Amino acid sequence: MTIVNDNEFKAALNALPPDQQRMVAARFAENVLSVSQDPRVTSALQAAKRADITEPELAAAFHAARSASVASYTSCSKEADRQHQASHFVAKAALNSVMPAAHGANRAWEAALNARMARAIASGVASDNSETQQQYRILSGFLTVMANRLPG
Amino acid sequence: MSASFERGYNLLKEMIDAPIASYLASCVRCGMCASACLFFTETNDPKYTPIHKIEPLRKVWRREYTLTGKLASWLGLVKPLTDEDLANWQELLYDSCTLCGRCSMVCPVGNDIAYMVRKSREGMAIAGHAPAGVIAATKRTLEIGSPMGVRLPAVKVQINHVEQETGLEVPLDKEGAEYMVLLSSMEIINFPEYLSAIARIFHQAGKSWTICSEAFEATNSGIQIGVGDFAREIVMRIVKGAEKLKVKTVISPECGHAFTALRWDGPNLIGRPYTFKVQHILEVLDELRIAGKLKTAGFEAGRLTYHDPCQIARRGGVVEQPRNLLKMVAQDFVEMSDAGTMNWCCGGGGGVSANSDADDIRLQAFKRKKAQLDELGPVTLVTACANCRITLEEGLEHNQMDVPVVGLTETIAAHLLESPQFSPPRSQAGEGLGEREKP
Repeated sequence: MTIVNDNEFKAALNALPPDQQRMVAARFAENVLSVSQDPRVTSALQAAKRADITEPELAAAFHAARSASVASYTSCSKEADRQHQASHFVAKAALNSVMPAAHGANRAWEAALNARMARAIASGVASDNSETQQQYRILSGFLTVMANRLPG
Repeated sequence: MSASFERGYNLLKEMIDAPIASYLASCVRCGMCASACLFFTETNDPKYTPIHKIEPLRKVWRREYTLTGKLASWLGLVKPLTDEDLANWQELLYDSCTLCGRCSMVCPVGNDIAYMVRKSREGMAIAGHAPAGVIAATKRTLEIGSPMGVRLPAVKVQINHVEQETGLEVPLDKEGAEYMVLLSSMEIINFPEYLSAIARIFHQAGKSWTICSEAFEATNSGIQIGVGDFAREIVMRIVKGAEKLKVKTVISPECGHAFTALRWDGPNLIGRPYTFKVQHILEVLDELRIAGKLKTAGFEAGRLTYHDPCQIARRGGVVEQPRNLLKMVAQDFVEMSDAGTMNWCCGGGGGVSANSDADDIRLQAFKRKKAQLDELGPVTLVTACANCRITLEEGLEHNQMDVPVVGLTETIAAHLLESPQFSPPRSQAGEGLGEREKP
């Protein structure tokens, strides 16, 4: 399946069951992981990518990602640093991926948005939409893998 | 006597206008202000009694403006104010006061203690006794236009992001627009969901709006540090931008001190009335609601409560509007004890969150908010100030509390009845946001 625009992208994400939304959300976040140095984010994403993750593991990953997200805010009147700011959005994307399914949002879409923000901030170019194209490829690949795993 | 101390002393002397002189003369030393200050209630340390925080100002008043003080000074019966006194009071005037104004509300003789703290800060800053973080923020504001050093390219990154997300135009420098939207640095750096919500709400309401490339920043650190000249320059930048674009209304964002600076202090700072109206975003949203231009569907499934930002509710009078708006999207809305004009501060306003010296006392003060939330049980916390939001999130994280915190504007936007082409699966609103019933 080839995805070429956000409408197709959103539609495909909306069609995914919650566990697959989590796994693909983690892949979106992982794709911008190079701008984060926080081991809590890395560990949360490793957990989120696993199909066999347990509820306690998911809860632990959620708390780790939330902790990283809160810690990476730029506080009021502190000098903004682009890399630090970008790392916050990576943490937010990771947090989206491990958010409990009961929260009702399409966490994969939110993770995608935060990952795009992280990339654009890190590059410093307002019109940098490169991450969007990469996310289309990530989702296409993910859907292909999932389709091949289905019986029959 | 050092030159900086002399300048600070003289400025403190200048700051004592008729209201301050009457406040100082009428203080009955009852100590009621102590029970209203979360830095006192959460530590029980008498040095945090609000009226004690302005002791340097009181000393100057007594020595310079009262007969008994002059006599006592002449006879050598009282010690003069020293540079060391000011150094010792930095902690009390900056680290442990958010200018929340709760003390002013309970003073039985009507003294505006928060006003006196602000005036005291003017002398402190000139004497070189302001926290380094707050001084640096003010310098950035003057040099760059933003206390966090945010420049226009960073705003453009967010504009592009929001346009991609929503499919809507974010107008820049659109002359003749009805509304000029200001952002706080916090929103530019941390919360793109605010601008996204604005774009979607004004699209639905059919209102014209714009961001001004020369005055996009609302935060006024001149007010926080207590330097009137800086505060004036920051306000003037916004005035020039609004007048150049000929807008009818300037919207102050989800930022407390920005609202105080622009709405209440601004005309006095620049010495003339504005040619435009200034409203807080919650006032604008409530007007749209009344006009039937804010249409929502569905309700938040969980329990919601609202944290009143001090400068918006207590100092700004915006109390009913957020509740009117929340009732549109919440079936289970509950109030914290002391909600509204007497709400307890988050503990991070007035430059406290910009001041790393205050990190420990800020977390201690958060115990009050924790107690308020513990009374309610599981709840989502809505607020309308980006600084409150981060201070609350940090306090909650420090106390390992599972309470999601979200902005009010984005919460409303998440329930907008929108045409499908502009409707994302859901806004970016607050990770951890309570479950929503589908519209």
